[in-house]
Amino acid sequence: MMPKTQKRNTMISIILTLIAFVLFISISIFEELAEMSMMIMIIGVVLLASSWAVYFLTGKPAPKEEVENVITVIACRSCGQLEERSFAQGDYIFKDMGQCKKCSGSSFIKSIYSVSPKKE
Amino acid sequence: MLPITQGLFGGGDMTSVVLNIVWMLLFFAVIITFNQRLQLYSYQRNVEKAVTRLEELATKSKEDAINSIKTFAPEGIDLRGNVSGFLEFFTIEPVSLDPFGVLKRLEHLLDIRRSRSVEFVSQIAPKATKTERENIEVILEAATAVNYIYKVVRHFLLLGKKTKSLMIFVQLDMQLPMIMKQAEAYYAAQTTFTAGKPIGDGLGPLVASKLMLGSPQKRIAEDIIYSEIEIEKRKVIVLKAEGPGGVVGKPGEAVRELVEGLEGKVSRIIMIDAASKLEGENTGEVVEGVGAAIGDPGPEKYKIEEVAVKYKIPIDAIVCKMGLEEALTTIKKEIVEASDLIVERVKKIIAERTKEGDTVIVAGIGNTMGVGQ
Repeated sequence: MMPKTQKRNTMISIILTLIAFVLFISISIFEELAEMSMMIMIIGVVLLASSWAVYFLTGKPAPKEEVENVITVIACRSCGQLEERSFAQGDYIFKDMGQCKKCSGSSFIKSIYSVSPKKE
Repeated sequence: MLPITQGLFGGGDMTSVVLNIVWMLLFFAVIITFNQRLQLYSYQRNVEKAVTRLEELATKSKEDAINSIKTFAPEGIDLRGNVSGFLEFFTIEPVSLDPFGVLKRLEHLLDIRRSRSVEFVSQIAPKATKTERENIEVILEAATAVNYIYKVVRHFLLLGKKTKSLMIFVQLDMQLPMIMKQAEAYYAAQTTFTAGKPIGDGLGPLVASKLMLGSPQKRIAEDIIYSEIEIEKRKVIVLKAEGPGGVVGKPGEAVRELVEGLEGKVSRIIMIDAASKLEGENTGEVVEGVGAAIGDPGPEKYKIEEVAVKYKIPIDAIVCKMGLEEALTTIKKEIVEASDLIVERVKKIIAERTKEGDTVIVAGIGNTMGVGQ
């Protein structure tokens, strides 16, 4: 999703472009404005330049850091029972994890891996 | 209604004609005079934005490194000063104008660099365990890499500004996407190293661990262990770096010692490693080939090739494709699944390409962080 500031800058940029466009069109439609055509054109160009500056020079925000989802899989050597939980500091693959909750056999960390977070 | 041209260029009297000419002249004068300046400004702005991001990454990575060492540091030590100083540590490559013995000289320098790093870590983090010390070493390595990238890009930005050289900015701007990708990958890697999670590059050691699980292990060469197992009535010697700390060890040295110890009576060497994927390839794709699959600066690869040539031992390579960031950050599910596939592939190669009673060496190459045995 677009962050608030970027959204606001894009809106400002679009509005400035639209105003410039309306000014350019109006001098060719309304005869009364013919005398001020040069002035209006300069204003229009300035508005277009400002629109460009707002859009490009304010810059894009830094990419949002994704929260990593790391899973630790604990397996039992005797009954093959598998248990998944979030990674905890100190976990490593093939680490002995003590007794199995189900059969009291010895359990170990079978695997650790990261899964991509689901896109909304 | 006025025609659009008349509207734009005024009422058509003399003043507006003069104004129009002045306007056009001004427009062309600006374009002709400031064309290159405008281009330069545009490229310079891109580089400035990148340098700002790199500075942010370098500062954050230094702070993260200090925070991860803090708990193991002795009281009264100037941790910030020490770490800042170490981030500037450099290694001068050996002269290659005379290539004779260049790999020996390179290995010597790499050994010195490693020992300096080990020494430094034991000095600033004496309370850390062996695994924690090894992890701190790689954390510092990643922070050094980010800091170096930042300083080089900043150097070219300042040089470009000083000389007002469009070429410097154009070249830099074109390379920026790759440079930024690399810097972001190293920064992301540091976060993974801090937690001690297994990384994508640990695929080789993971496969080796799966093969040697439950067998007695012996130490050989620097940070390398091996186990002797039996597959289809063949003697298989499986080796890997000793985990779960973040080390790669000297697998080349280990293979050479093992082959020499067996007087060359080894029918095959199978190497497993992570390989960088090309755009369009899938992560976790397993590919087979020949040659020493090892991405070291040279010395370890050379030792394996040398001993293989000496005794005419075929070398098989099995690699798993992944991107740079995937190799340096937490191992992905696809790569873990590929490791099971590789275990089966190794068994198949042994059964099909060797005879009963033969001896085979299987080397799991890579950083063994978060992978025990």
